[in-house]
Order: sequence, then structure tokens, then C-alpha cells
Amino acid sequence: MKALSLITAIVVGVALIYGTLDMPKWGDPHSPASSHVSPYYLHNSLEQTATPNVVTSVLADYRGYDTLGETTVIFTAGMACILLLRRSRRRQK
Amino acid sequence: MVAQTPILIVVIPLIAAFICPLIGLFRRGLCYFWMVLALLVCTIASIKTLYAVIDGGTIHYRLGGWPPPFGIEYVVDHLNAMMLIVISVISLIVAVYSKESVEQELPQRAVYFYTVFLLQVTGFLGIVITGDLFNLYVFLEIASLAGYALIAIGEDGAPLACFRYIVMGTIGACFYLLGIGYIYISTGSLNMADVQEILPGLYHSKVIVTAIAFLLAGLAVKMALFPVHVWLPDAYTKAPSAVSALVAPLMTKISLYVMIRILFSVFKPHLSIQVLPITQIMVWAGFVAICAGAIMALAQKDFKRMLCYIVVAEVGYIVGGVGLANTTAMKGAILHILNDAVMTAGLFTVAGIIMYKVKSRKLSDFKGLFRKMPFTMAAFVVGALSIIGVPPTCGFFSKWYLIQGAVIANQWAFVAALLGSSLINVILFFRIIEIGYVFHDSHGENTHNGDVTRRIEEAPFSMLIPTIAVALAIILIGFYNQTILSKIIQFAVPKI
Amino acid sequence: MFDFIVGHYNYWMYIGLMMIGFYAMMAKRNLIKKIIGMNIFQSAIIFFYISTSVKKGNVTVPILEHAHGDHGTHAIDVMQYANPLPHVLMLTAIVVMVATLGVALAVAIMVYRRYNTLEEDEIILSMRRGG
Repeated sequence: MKALSLITAIVVGVALIYGTLDMPKWGDPHSPASSHVSPYYLHNSLEQTATPNVVTSVLADYRGYDTLGETTVIFTAGMACILLLRRSRRRQK
Repeated sequence: MVAQTPILIVVIPLIAAFICPLIGLFRRGLCYFWMVLALLVCTIASIKTLYAVIDGGTIHYRLGGWPPPFGIEYVVDHLNAMMLIVISVISLIVAVYSKESVEQELPQRAVYFYTVFLLQVTGFLGIVITGDLFNLYVFLEIASLAGYALIAIGEDGAPLACFRYIVMGTIGACFYLLGIGYIYISTGSLNMADVQEILPGLYHSKVIVTAIAFLLAGLAVKMALFPVHVWLPDAYTKAPSAVSALVAPLMTKISLYVMIRILFSVFKPHLSIQVLPITQIMVWAGFVAICAGAIMALAQKDFKRMLCYIVVAEVGYIVGGVGLANTTAMKGAILHILNDAVMTAGLFTVAGIIMYKVKSRKLSDFKGLFRKMPFTMAAFVVGALSIIGVPPTCGFFSKWYLIQGAVIANQWAFVAALLGSSLINVILFFRIIEIGYVFHDSHGENTHNGDVTRRIEEAPFSMLIPTIAVALAIILIGFYNQTILSKIIQFAVPKI
Repeated sequence: MFDFIVGHYNYWMYIGLMMIGFYAMMAKRNLIKKIIGMNIFQSAIIFFYISTSVKKGNVTVPILEHAHGDHGTHAIDVMQYANPLPHVLMLTAIVVMVATLGVALAVAIMVYRRYNTLEEDEIILSMRRGG
């Protein structure tokens, strides 16, 4: 079982590294990730959201719905823990 | 209000879930009715959305008013709208059904059970309606966490089964996240439509090949495709009855829906068909899944576990159907998503009723059930006929399209698997019908009053009526399948 | 060749870390070690994403200075600021990771209450013996 897991981990790792061979270099300022959507946030964050911190404006305004989803994840985990762990008083001995 | 229905569908169960514990502080009995009310409103909203999509075409809803790809967008087209209806209607039916079973199996935990139930439904609805890849991940995690909690409170052995599910489910979700990461690094965008426009120039780059491989691998774990299905039988068998009836029909079908979205709306179809041999691999994966699921179902002595292996085989039908890559097979696959959700819901609700009354799931304990619970077993027979594929139940029509599509694509092994698994399903279900009908309950023979076997001990109405409603739906979908195909599914099939 | 390695070694480092976590999740027999492996795997994915937001040169955090009071008289040079989007996505992913960790530990507590051990082999042995 451990040998199978080791082989699986190595295969998955090699597949991931194969995927990185065509990636833009680390720190490339003209990579697609830095030149498609992000410049819009940096240019317009101040006038559209009046927030100098661009990460905040994206998190709370442009992609605010993801933040609502994240809050729901925390709530779900909290309710899950209550559901799983709460012991009824009558059964405690 | 009508313009806001896409967001209302997701937000109503969410707000209901936030308020449910507060209601539970005052009156515990009200939580059930609150949950049913919320899901009823949600179902009405999704029916409205379906009519809006049929009349007006695809709906684009921008959250916060920001244009995509800078903001998140909800895209509701015909495939989506159908999935929304399937999820909300099945959730409503199982919610109504859940009252008695929760009171018997989980007496102290009702309030938080209903809360997590609503959160699970929120997660499901959020996954199918979104047009943004990262938003899908967030709602996938909401649905997964709620599912872990609901499954772990089942019978003895459920926590360990759930722990294995947690490990495998997290691997699946993390592979999906890695796939999105690779797409983001090479395109810079997270919006599905935007990525579809940018990508075609990059189809030969190694990043995209790895991205699609990891996306599909992550979804394969979530949809229980053989051989990464090992979490499914234990988890769904040991879960409480209401939870199996909710999660078993829906979770795997939603992952199949996400796979169809990724293959045809994020990547163009010709990538999967011509550039990379993905569809060929999918046909073989479907073939293996059908054979493995059918054979393992034959070996089971526990009714629910047998149903779980049937679910594994059904996933194989749909994966193979999508892999055949022609219009007929795609119609069959999408119709089968609808049919399989309804059939599985029907059979798992029957299993829950049997667990409630007989307190056992072993097939040998089914003796004389056709006399004691005629309505439940009638619903069971309808579900069984649909899985076998007998007209006029809905299962026949989707299998018919799948077989036609396989013949057109010259995949004879897949045709053989489809027909062979129907035969095996006949054996599986007629075995149960034989035990239920023919054998008289031996205790009844020995007592002096023969009335013991003749008394009808049916399930309580709140469990019986939803089960019969699902059985009626199976027959109605079969009768109206041409309407459904021509109005909804025909537009949902991607242009191959 | 050296240029290529310098341009990609961050990805390889984090993939190696991911595979350590992945191996631990699958191969270890103790439930807590599996949970630790899960945590390492998800943390490595988070590092992987964040490493793509860096830009070479004189780059600072994406907080626009001299903001209030200028109102657009200064043109914002995008090359001076790091990419904000991966940071946003990973804030959500960190929360999801912690939530999954919490639920996994709750389920492990349930397993411990029932079987009094956290080793998978002992639990399976105990289940086979019928208790």
C-alpha cells in the first residue's frame, strides 16, 4: 500500500512538473496573469471603490460574492462541528 | 423581482440556514416547517428561472453589477436551468420526507441537522448556477463540508467511512483547485466564457494539457468514477436515511454537470475530441465503471449498499455517453442525468422507509413486505423498472438514446455493457421482488391469527407521500420525455 | 538552462511540498497524520498560487499610495505593484482549508470516542471483531 502511494505521488508530481515547463518565468511582469485582469483592478480601484488597498477592494467589492461564500464555509464548519460533537446531557454518564 | 431570481435561488436557502438555529432556540418543532418553506420558495424561483430561460434564452446575471471578467457572473442556460429544477425539487421532496426518519435516527440533533441540510442545498445550487471557476470551488467546498457532517452522524461505523470520504473528497477538490491555478497562470482570467475565448491559441501548451487532466481527475474523485469510487459505498450506506436520499442522487450528478461544463464551455469540444484523446478514454472508463458497478452490486446482501453500486454503474453510463461525442449520445447522457437523479431518489427513499419500519437493510429481511407495505413496494417496483429500462418509465428513453449514440459511434463494447448491465439489474431487482412477494413471513404461519401478515403497516404519510411523488415523477418524465427533450435538452446539448 | 531553472524553481519547490503532503494523506495509517498531510497539501497549493503574483524589479504591495487627495493626477504604473488577484483567491482558500481541518478533526474525535484509538489498523481490527 505504501509502495502504491509512493508511486502515485511520484506520478502526480511528475505530471505537475511537466505542466510547469511551459509556464511564464517566475516574476515575469508581462505574464498573462499580470496583464489581463489585474491592471483593471489597479487602475480603477481608487475611483470605483474609493479604497487604496487593492486586495481589499477586489475581496470586498469586485469579488465580494466569493467572500460571502467564504463566510458561509466558516458557518457550515461551525454548524458541522456542533452537529458532530454536541453530546446530549441525558446520555452522559 | 423576476430579474433577481438567479441570485434568490442560492440566497434563500442560505439565509434560511442562518436563521434556522435562532428559530431552534425558541421552538424546536418549527425548524422543519421553516426548512420546507425555504425550499418551496427556492423551487418556485427555479421554475420561474426555467420558464425565463425557455422563453428568452440564456440569462446573464452580474453580481454587484461588475462586468465579467472583473466580477463574478451567473450564467443560466438550458442545462443549468434543468439542473436547478432537479436539485430544488429533489431537495424539497427529501426535506418533507425527512421528518420522521430524523426523529427516529437522530433525536437530539434535529435543529442543526436541518441547518446543515439547507447549507448542503445552498452549496449544490451555487455549484450549478455559477459562471466563474473559483466561485464554483467555494460552493463545492460548502457542499462538501455539509455533506461530511451529514454523513458522519449516521449509524455505527459512519465516522470512519466519513473520514475516508473527507480524505478523498479533499484530494478531489484540491486537484480541481490546481487545475484552475494552471488555467489562471496561462490565461489570467477565471471567468468561464472569458477563458474559452482566450484558450484556443494555447491548446498545444503543456500547461493546458495538465490543467484539463487535473480538473478531470479531481472531478472523477467527486463523481465516484471507478476506480476512485471506494469512498461511496461505505459513506452512503452508513449515512442516515434522509441524508442518503438527498446526497446520493445529487452529488455525483452535479460533478458530472461540472465535467460537461468544463469539457464544452471552458474548453472547446474539439480539444477533447480531436486534439487530445479524452473522449476515447471516457468511453473506456464508462465501460469499466458499468461492468464493475453491476458485478459488485450482485454480490451485496445489504439493500442500500447494492443501490450504491448501482449509482457507480449509472455514473459510468453518463461518462461513457458524454465520451461518445455525438449529439444523440449527449442527449441521452443529459436526459440520463435527470432520470438517474429521480430514480436514485426514489429508490433511496424506499430504502429509508424500509429502514424506518423494519429496522434492517438485509435483503433476507424483506420477506412479506409486499403485503405489509403495498404502496412503498409499488414505488420500489416503479424505480426498479426504471433502472432496468422498461418503457414507459423514464429510464428506458435515456438508455435508448445512449444505445443509439453508441451504435452511431461504433462503440460496440459500450453497447454490450449497456445491455448487459440491464440484464444484471433485472436479476438484482427481481431477486428482491421474489423475496418480498413469494415468501410468507414465517412467524405469521405459526400464529393462530393469520391476520398478522395481512395487516398493512405502511409508513407514516410524511414519508410515504414524497416517495409516491417521486414514483409518479418517474412515470411522468417518461411520458413527457419528448417535450423535455425538445424544449430543454435539445438546447442544452453542446455543439459538437 | 540555468535561466530556465531560476525561472521555474519556485513551482517545483511547491510541487515537491504538495507531493509530501499527498503521500502522507494516502500512506499513513494514523488519522491525525493523514490530517497533517492534508494540511501540508493544501498549504503548498496556496504557496504555489501566491508565488505567481510576484513581479521582478522595484515592486511593492498593491496598496496605492498618495491616494486620497490626488484623485487621478498620478498615473498608476501597473509594473510597480504586485498582482492582487492571487492574494484574494488564496485568502478564501486559506479559510476553506481551516474549515476542512476543523471538520476533519471533529470526525476524528468522533472516531476516537467510539474506538478509543486513532490507528486505522486497530480500528478495522476492532470493527471485524464486532465492537
